[in-house]
Amino acid sequence: MHEPVISMRNIIKRYYIGKPNELQILTGISLDVEKGEFLAIVGQSGSGKSTLMNMIGALDRPTEGSYFLNGVDTGTLDDTELSRIRNQEIGFVFQTFNLISRTNALKNVEMPMMYAGIPRKERVKRAKELLEIVDMSDRADHQPNELSGGQKQRVAIARAMANHPSILLADEPTGALDSKTGRMIMDLFHKLHKEEGTTIVLITHSPELAQECDRIVTISDGSIISDTGVRQNAAD
Amino acid sequence: MQLIENLRLAFTSLAANKMRALLTMLGIIIGISSVIMITTIGTSIQKTLTNTFNQMGESNFFDVYLIQNYEGDDYSAYDAMSDEDMFTRDMIDRLIAEYGDHFTPRLSQSFGNAKVRNTDGQEFSVSIEGELSQPKDSTHLRGRTINQRDNQEGMYTIYVSDLFVSQYCKDGSDPIGQTVELTLDSGISAEFVIVGTFQLPSFYDRIYPPGTSEMDKVTSVTVPLDTMLKLTHQEQEPMMYLTVAWNTDYDPEMLKQELQDFFDKEYEDKPDYEVMIENEQVYLEMINTIINVITIAISVIAAISLIVGGVGVMNIMLVSITERTKEIGIRKALGAQNAAIRMQFIVESILICLIGGVIGILLGIGGGMMIGTVAKALVTQIYPDYAELIAITVQPSIPAILIAVLFSVLTGVFFGYYPANKAAKMNPIDALRYD
Repeated sequence: MHEPVISMRNIIKRYYIGKPNELQILTGISLDVEKGEFLAIVGQSGSGKSTLMNMIGALDRPTEGSYFLNGVDTGTLDDTELSRIRNQEIGFVFQTFNLISRTNALKNVEMPMMYAGIPRKERVKRAKELLEIVDMSDRADHQPNELSGGQKQRVAIARAMANHPSILLADEPTGALDSKTGRMIMDLFHKLHKEEGTTIVLITHSPELAQECDRIVTISDGSIISDTGVRQNAAD
Repeated sequence: MQLIENLRLAFTSLAANKMRALLTMLGIIIGISSVIMITTIGTSIQKTLTNTFNQMGESNFFDVYLIQNYEGDDYSAYDAMSDEDMFTRDMIDRLIAEYGDHFTPRLSQSFGNAKVRNTDGQEFSVSIEGELSQPKDSTHLRGRTINQRDNQEGMYTIYVSDLFVSQYCKDGSDPIGQTVELTLDSGISAEFVIVGTFQLPSFYDRIYPPGTSEMDKVTSVTVPLDTMLKLTHQEQEPMMYLTVAWNTDYDPEMLKQELQDFFDKEYEDKPDYEVMIENEQVYLEMINTIINVITIAISVIAAISLIVGGVGVMNIMLVSITERTKEIGIRKALGAQNAAIRMQFIVESILICLIGGVIGILLGIGGGMMIGTVAKALVTQIYPDYAELIAITVQPSIPAILIAVLFSVLTGVFFGYYPANKAAKMNPIDALRYD
């Protein structure tokens, strides 16, 4: 049976529920993402795209609505099971890289595999392969503070790919980088998309970056105002 | 596997803040080191007492006392013990006949001084001690001691000191098997064969003023009691006191009961008398128990400082998790379960306490040893004559060390749990956004 990777139905997120300052961030989002898509979620600051990302990444639960990830209703899962989802199904790439300090690149890449309980030998081997893919093999034993922004982000991408996640979830991955390095990171995403067939959800406020993706979903005031649907990549 | 990772993480984290880690450990270090120091002093006192006690003689014997009962406060009703009421040789021979396999009687009588002429013809004095049997103690050198067979067969055997050997064998020949003629003050003389030698205790020399010539020193020689009684036409003097050494393969408690039963029966028709059987070891055990109680009591007080140390650890762990909120958020985003985060911080807390504990143990042992050395120096200074007898032995208490290690770990778990749990329960989004 055909099943989308992400299937969101009428997701609503409210904060300060029952208080005078109650705030509705997402006002009813429905979104399907198919396997192998390269999707951009675009929106202004405060549009709710980061909250949506947290939902997709199983870091947060919706107040209302349902979210199926690979057919699993995440609303029925407890904290431990959500940890497992984040570990196995989601690969996060953050704007500020979020590498763990005082821990070298190789160990950073190993970390998701460590939490997955993969034996040390095996995960070192895989981490080295991943660093090879992002062209960071020669920096495996460097600490994060010895790496440039672009290098950090490449390590972060390798780390995100560690457990073969269903989705690579990138939140403004080039936001903290200069345009040249940003370009390199975007090229890396394209490479992973083409060569590994990774499903990528890119959250950005930049329309130019969004134009490179197969599909653009635009969010404003907590709801989807446009969705291009799957189309041929403009860059092709 | 996870544990090794956690340990590595904890080490990295502590290494990044060495000074802070050390200051955090300080409470634990002080707590553990004081407990270890106190227990080291306690066990050292016990060890010293035991050593001193053992040096003063064997301890595998019962003292059997005859005591007189009297009622009320009227001391005038108290008659001196008559000879026939005391332990007689007959009574002791009956005891030996009945239970002789279970013990060795330590019966002795002094026979005054005797003159001896050495191989060079010089005369010197010895004091004669008749023994029914004699144990080999730590000062035994060669050959054998006087035993019950020597007595039964009326043998003329003699057991002498190393000083006697150097007084007697001027030609340096082997003393064992040589014949010694003893001439008693009463004029009776007889020849005895040397069967064994023993070493005089080192403090023996101090009995004599410095410069006393070797030939003027008088040592005691041991000969069979019964042989000596026969030779001097004497009867064994009645006694109020008897020493009985239990045989190592026999249960002392059973022997005690047998002795009590035997003497109760002997004194059945003399209700004024009572026989008491005691072991010197009992007193030692009593003193040791008292020292133990005191040590434990002071240790518990010292252990209170461990609570203060533990609160310090908890405090710094709370600071640490606040500082590392972002890291916790990242780990959670990468799929760390709450249990994994909790374990990471508990391991860190345990490591702080364990390192503190080990430092504390080392300092405690060092401190205890230092106090022991000072005490030794003081004793030597104040009581030079007894310095050898009061051999101060400093010994750390092994159980206390093991308990200290265990306690450090428990402190780490106890005071680390709350901060670690707080870290584990952080909301991943809030943690990720934390700056």
